[in-house]
Amino acid sequence: MVYLVIASGLLGGSYLKDKQKTKEALWATFKILYTILPVLIFVFVLMGLIQAYVSRETIAAILGKQTGVMGILYAELVGSIALFLPPAVFPFGGYLHDNGAAYGPIAGFVFTAILIGVTTLPLEFKLLGKRFTIARNILTFVIAFFLAFFMGVVLG
Amino acid sequence: MKKLLKNDAFQFLSLSVGITFLIYAMEAAKGMIVVRTVYLTFFDVLDIIVAVSIFIGLFQVWVKPATIVKWLGKGSGVKGFILVCTFPILMGGSLFTIFPLLKVLREKGASSGAIASFITAWGGKAPLLPLEIKFLEWPFALLRLGCVVIFAVAMGVLMERVMEKTE
Repeated sequence: MVYLVIASGLLGGSYLKDKQKTKEALWATFKILYTILPVLIFVFVLMGLIQAYVSRETIAAILGKQTGVMGILYAELVGSIALFLPPAVFPFGGYLHDNGAAYGPIAGFVFTAILIGVTTLPLEFKLLGKRFTIARNILTFVIAFFLAFFMGVVLG
Repeated sequence: MKKLLKNDAFQFLSLSVGITFLIYAMEAAKGMIVVRTVYLTFFDVLDIIVAVSIFIGLFQVWVKPATIVKWLGKGSGVKGFILVCTFPILMGGSLFTIFPLLKVLREKGASSGAIASFITAWGGKAPLLPLEIKFLEWPFALLRLGCVVIFAVAMGVLMERVMEKTE
């Protein structure tokens, strides 16, 4: 609710400054919602599926604290392949955490889900070049691993 | 009809409904668990999602891609590098939306390192902070934001090296 109040305040300020731009902003907001909501619902269905069929123990066994390095690597692999829009990443990550996944693997998942996308590879190839794309994705995976490990240690 | 079938929103929604029905048909209790999870989570996050979308919408309109390119310049020099590793954290959008912007940056002479730093910093996703704090608590969110800056710097330095050798 607080966020909605802040957002309305900003919209009001924007409207006072420039009506036309604010209309554009609202249209942009609508387009974002139109893109995001169906994907979110799909991700919520996935969460429901996990809730129905995968036990807490299983999630903990794959992504729990005692899995250490392997848990982070699994989570990074899933993050790299998954077709996640960024706004869906956090609810899913939080859901996994509530069900026994440790912070390290979740950090790995969040980093790679946002920064590495098998689906965006063709576009990245085309716009930024093959070498760049391959180097960037591999380096991202590797550095994400160390940072996720670090975050897991700090957050316990 | 063809257009509708190709529509992303339609695909995701029909897939969601289809899967839920299938589960329900196989085992009603499990189906209800899915429905309950979707329902509870959806209304739990709806206000945040709307607010976040407004933030991103306003940002897109008030800070045009051309402005960003102008601010960041080539992303060279210490000041440029610091900007490239931090500023994109404020931006929304998906990889699909930022690659075209990066192409422009590159054509203006930005180095591979600067581009890689930009992408990584963009992964910071500050507009989504309300969501992140709700689902993963603020220590995680703050620590991740800090890590993103380190991540962006490391990517810039390493990519510069890697691309230099291969080019």
